[in-house]
Amino acid sequence: MTSSTKFIGAVEIGTSKVTVLVGEFTGRELAIIGYGECQSRGVMKGVVVDYKAASECAHAAMQAAEQSAGEQIDLVYLAQSGGHLEGFYNEAAVNVKSADNMISALDIDTVCRLATAKELPAGRMVVHNIRRPFRVDGRLVPGNPEHLVGQRLEVGYWTVHGQESRLADTIHVIRGFNLEVRELILSGLASGHMVTTAEERQHGVLAIDLGAGVTDFVLYRDGGPYATGVVPVGGSHLTNDLSLGLRLTEGQAEKLKLRHGRALVQGRSKADKVWLDGNFTIGDRQFPQQTIEQITAARTWEILEVVKKKLGPAFTPETCSAGVVLTGGTAKLPGIAECAAKVFGVPAHLGETPSWVNENLRDPGFSTALGLLYYGLASQAERAAPARRKRGFLQKLFAPA
Amino acid sequence: MKDTLDPVPNARTWRQIPQPVRPRAMSREGRKRFAFAVLKTGGLVVLAGTVGWGVVEMTNTWQSEPKRIALAVGTAPVGRIDLVTDGVIDRAWVEGALALPRNITLMELNLAPLQQRLLANGQVRSVVLTKSFPATLTVKITERSPVARLRAENGRDFIVARDGVIFNGIGYDQAMTDSLPWLAGVKVVRAGEGFAPIAGMETVANLLATARNEAPGLYQTWQVVDLARFDSDGEIEVRSSEIARITFSTALDFDTQVARLDYVREAKPAALKSVNLGLGSQVVVDYDATAPLGRPAVPAVKSPVVPHPFAFPNLSTSSRPNRDL
Repeated sequence: MTSSTKFIGAVEIGTSKVTVLVGEFTGRELAIIGYGECQSRGVMKGVVVDYKAASECAHAAMQAAEQSAGEQIDLVYLAQSGGHLEGFYNEAAVNVKSADNMISALDIDTVCRLATAKELPAGRMVVHNIRRPFRVDGRLVPGNPEHLVGQRLEVGYWTVHGQESRLADTIHVIRGFNLEVRELILSGLASGHMVTTAEERQHGVLAIDLGAGVTDFVLYRDGGPYATGVVPVGGSHLTNDLSLGLRLTEGQAEKLKLRHGRALVQGRSKADKVWLDGNFTIGDRQFPQQTIEQITAARTWEILEVVKKKLGPAFTPETCSAGVVLTGGTAKLPGIAECAAKVFGVPAHLGETPSWVNENLRDPGFSTALGLLYYGLASQAERAAPARRKRGFLQKLFAPA
Repeated sequence: MKDTLDPVPNARTWRQIPQPVRPRAMSREGRKRFAFAVLKTGGLVVLAGTVGWGVVEMTNTWQSEPKRIALAVGTAPVGRIDLVTDGVIDRAWVEGALALPRNITLMELNLAPLQQRLLANGQVRSVVLTKSFPATLTVKITERSPVARLRAENGRDFIVARDGVIFNGIGYDQAMTDSLPWLAGVKVVRAGEGFAPIAGMETVANLLATARNEAPGLYQTWQVVDLARFDSDGEIEVRSSEIARITFSTALDFDTQVARLDYVREAKPAALKSVNLGLGSQVVVDYDATAPLGRPAVPAVKSPVVPHPFAFPNLSTSSRPNRDL
């Protein structure tokens, strides 16, 4: 191990579980060497509501990951989610200053600063400034417009901001383990980057991460994130609906959802019934399969409808030709891809993690943590790169937040 | 859409959230990690401070009282000198050449000048000095092999090695040195305390080695190797007790020349005055009409006690060519 080796922790404090992956960054590559998971407590809809409980389970997961890796984590890339996160679009334009109309670094810097300079309401803080491609005289420029000739330079930023207290709570949970939070990354961005390909992002794709408490989504266009959002509804709401509709405890409803829930009703007769436990113990009883499917399908449809509504005019089938990619724990619900295809009117499929990821980590529930490590690798590689290359992956994607 | 310039308000970002470490807000494991980190940092600071202080102290002591450092490390004086050599040099000579002060310790020894003292004698090709604590100095010597002898005007004899280095022979057996032929017709030039190496000795050594290996009886009769015409004509002239002048060519193979000479010597009908082997396939033989026929009953051997007429008298540093000594 060299002195430049860093152990990066990717931490996702979710509503149902805390996932921690440990990556060993050797200067060139990042290897996943440890994994820890713990059932989440003190977290509701992606937000810490009980500091002590959330800390205990997060620290237990981090400790397990460190033990699994046999190394201590040096810094943390933390996933951020929750209904408090919002986004807006802001753009700016400047007239190119030089006499020969050649765009300079100063022009780019000025237009970027103008586009990100937006006052936020009190108590709100920027999480990400996601830059959209530059435009020179209305012409789209995917890369760096420096040295191009034009009269007017435009750029737009999708700014993601969140409640300061909510952000601080999540960070303090990690600090309670005496670890530094190096980057705060939107959960949807992390998971979306893992389950979509560069080609899909270029053609336009909507990545939806269906978690237990929240649903994160990112709309990609022209190779980069175009819009993001968080819907404070997730798989636990399906459980809750089943619990209310069938008069079950949450545990029983969760069990039924996992075994018999579907995102689309398959049209069985009402006579088809399923057992709650199937082991003939006291309290074991039967429920109509169709009812379970109707409840879960209705809620799934509703969640996806909310996502579509939140995207508004940003989403059109024409600009999202690569379709919808679903990930997250709730994406394992049978028929969810067909449901999403019907809601959005474009092809939909379940996201697949890249082939280099270990078989044990291919579950959709790990896509966020894997995405965090991916960002960690990109970020660390940028730090290790010479100064002139500093405006790299993260800097190009996000303005200094 | 904006098109204005500064001042630009900056929105607050999550990076402005302070990340303090408050032990009360930490979990048990977090507190443990915090304590470990504090101890680690403290330990590193103490270690760095100690090392820094040590370096400063050492530097000061080294500059003001270097003896104190030597004494602190090892106070036992050099008790033994171990000699490892591939030649004949003995420990007494090494001890004399090193001339170590009494009660000097290994730490006080500066090996570089000691090495130079040993190398001052040309017989020593290379030397490695090793301090073996607590009190042993190990000397490993590689020696030069003697090839020929030289006699100065003042009667002092020197040994010449294969690489042309001239040196006083130390510890050689008298019979061995007596068996070496004398060297003549060379110009010896002073260089510092000794002499500059003789050029071309490698070739002479090859001739002598060939004769010694291929015709030992013949080699025994060789008394003088004259290099007067070595540079100009590429010839080596040997004077033996049987033949007054044998001429070898450096351009021809020594094996062949020695074999021919041996043949001529064996098959001679009369006493030989001179043999010239440097003319290719032809051997020019000059018979001595005054000498009696047949080989002498007892071959003459070199006598070291006979003053040699070809010993070199000139030890000047002049660059004037002076091969005929």
